[in-house]
Amino acid sequence: MVKIAKEKLPVLLQAWAAGAMVFVPQEREGTRVFLPWNGEGKLALGEENTLEPPKDLFFPRTETMYRYKVQGQDAEITEVPSFEDKMILVGVRSCDARSFALMDDVFLTKGYVDEFYRRRRENTRVVALACTEAAPTCFCTAFGIDPGRAEGVDVQMRPLDDGYLLEAVTEAGQELLNQAGSLLEEAGKASPPGAALPSLQVDVGGVTEKLQQMFEHPYWTEVSRKCLGCGACTYLCPTCHCFDIQSENLGNTGYKFRCWDSCMFSEYTRMAGGHNPRPSKKERLRNRFLHKLQYFPERYGKFACVGCGRCLDRCPVNVDITRVIREVKEVTL
Amino acid sequence: MSRIQERMRARARELLAQGTVQMVIGWEKGTFWYLSPPVFITDAGECDRLVWDEFCANNLAKYLLDYKHTEDKIALFVKGCDARGVVRLLQDNQIEREKVYLIGIKCPGMKDGRLADALGEERRHEVPLVAKCRFCTHPEPVIFDELLGEDEGAAARDAAAAAEGRFAEVEKVEAMSPDERYTFWTSAYDRCLRCYACRNVCPACNCRECIFDRSQSGWCGKQMNRGENMFFAITRAMHVAGRCIECGECERVCPEGIPIMTLNKKIIKDLNELFGEYEAGIDLEDLPPLGRYKLDDPDEFH
Repeated sequence: MVKIAKEKLPVLLQAWAAGAMVFVPQEREGTRVFLPWNGEGKLALGEENTLEPPKDLFFPRTETMYRYKVQGQDAEITEVPSFEDKMILVGVRSCDARSFALMDDVFLTKGYVDEFYRRRRENTRVVALACTEAAPTCFCTAFGIDPGRAEGVDVQMRPLDDGYLLEAVTEAGQELLNQAGSLLEEAGKASPPGAALPSLQVDVGGVTEKLQQMFEHPYWTEVSRKCLGCGACTYLCPTCHCFDIQSENLGNTGYKFRCWDSCMFSEYTRMAGGHNPRPSKKERLRNRFLHKLQYFPERYGKFACVGCGRCLDRCPVNVDITRVIREVKEVTL
Repeated sequence: MSRIQERMRARARELLAQGTVQMVIGWEKGTFWYLSPPVFITDAGECDRLVWDEFCANNLAKYLLDYKHTEDKIALFVKGCDARGVVRLLQDNQIEREKVYLIGIKCPGMKDGRLADALGEERRHEVPLVAKCRFCTHPEPVIFDELLGEDEGAAARDAAAAAEGRFAEVEKVEAMSPDERYTFWTSAYDRCLRCYACRNVCPACNCRECIFDRSQSGWCGKQMNRGENMFFAITRAMHVAGRCIECGECERVCPEGIPIMTLNKKIIKDLNELFGEYEAGIDLEDLPPLGRYKLDDPDEFH
């Protein structure tokens, strides 16, 4: 096992940045977000997780799909150049690492491959960071996630008092460590602190089966009363992946783009004729929870929640998915 | 505070048991000690869920719109800002006065849940006021059917300080050069997620259908970029101009911490200078400056 001293980490990031775009949690206006490393930002690796999940690096908020030009009866389509940049994500927590696997299920499996997503995902290496402290809103262990060891990553980092232990998990990860060269030293017997243990706990066992019988249950009316119908929970969720496709029409030319969308919005399900099968926040909130806890498990055999707690942290009215899970399990059918 | 909480529960129980109202909207304890989110009670037996503590920051007025097409009469607990929100909805002809029963509470100023989390429960008494309460000019409800806690709840802030600091953030931005100001606003709104929490919590945002829920209209687009984000910000700010009740909920609920109230207060300050001092949501009879016409209205535009 090798380690790197804390003060040498920026040098390592700089070295990696020579051949790739390096994204790492940095301070921004009192919060932490993944930002490109340019050697000047303030690293925020010792704190709680980032305000926004890193999903936009694979699934940008807005992305041009193709451009078009119309002349008389002729139309010309121009493909956008494919994404060729290499990316290295550093400081990804176990919850967010799981979310990448879930997004992969959506964008890369079941016979559909989303080329926009695939290019970014395949060009990216992930360096995870073990959590040694849990925020009050963390509950990743409810989904069998180990806050001390991330799944599907290339390098696993563990914080030490004066630096980080680095362990290559994949060959690509080993290459990253090889690039670090003399910045690394033998870790010897350095023992990292134990993984964080979230205090917020919820037992998700049986929730899918219960929800399968609850579509028309009056519980949804009650639980949705306080919901504002905003999209904060969906846009801060590392696994929410809905998008809309629209065109920006500039006369004879224009472009097709896709951008994030949210099932919490009325427009999301509004039909061309004006009918809306999810007319109120009751149906929309129900959809959000059913998607995470019933539909996704039915389709992919996994929950679409990673217990990162971002929705719970930022919801203006404290709609709490752990409370919903508990209450769903308790309500009488 | 606990005495008010007891009276709160007792009154809610009476009103529901007597059938005076069909629902009571107040606050309950949330997931953590520093959260007191809204609660909706229809069963007199559940009134002990109601709480009154220093984290009842949510403005409840907007929820009345969810029930405007029902026959129900609703009791609402109102602090100063909730009451102003109700005046907003009444003046905008959104709700009927006789369908709401307002129980006023003199507000001592609410605490900042986010900072509370960082301090820890053992330092609960040190938690500072939430930003929206720091410059509150009306902590006592301006409209109510009955008032709880007549002897309690003198405002934690002094009114002079509130009046003085009210436009402090605006003045800072006004003092910037145009380029600095551009950077200030664009860097703030580059963070905007367009989650619309600000709009959805705002009692002045009471359009039956919002332009931003009609992205196919051609007026606005769904792209998350600087242009569209700024278009949203400016449109909303201008749409609530003269009607913003300064409850500060938009800024409090913003997940990205965008200084939305600085924008709203800039418009309030300009309106005050153009049309004379006006505070929205105080007096039912006093119409907003842009919602009335006077022959001597100024016609210059800043």
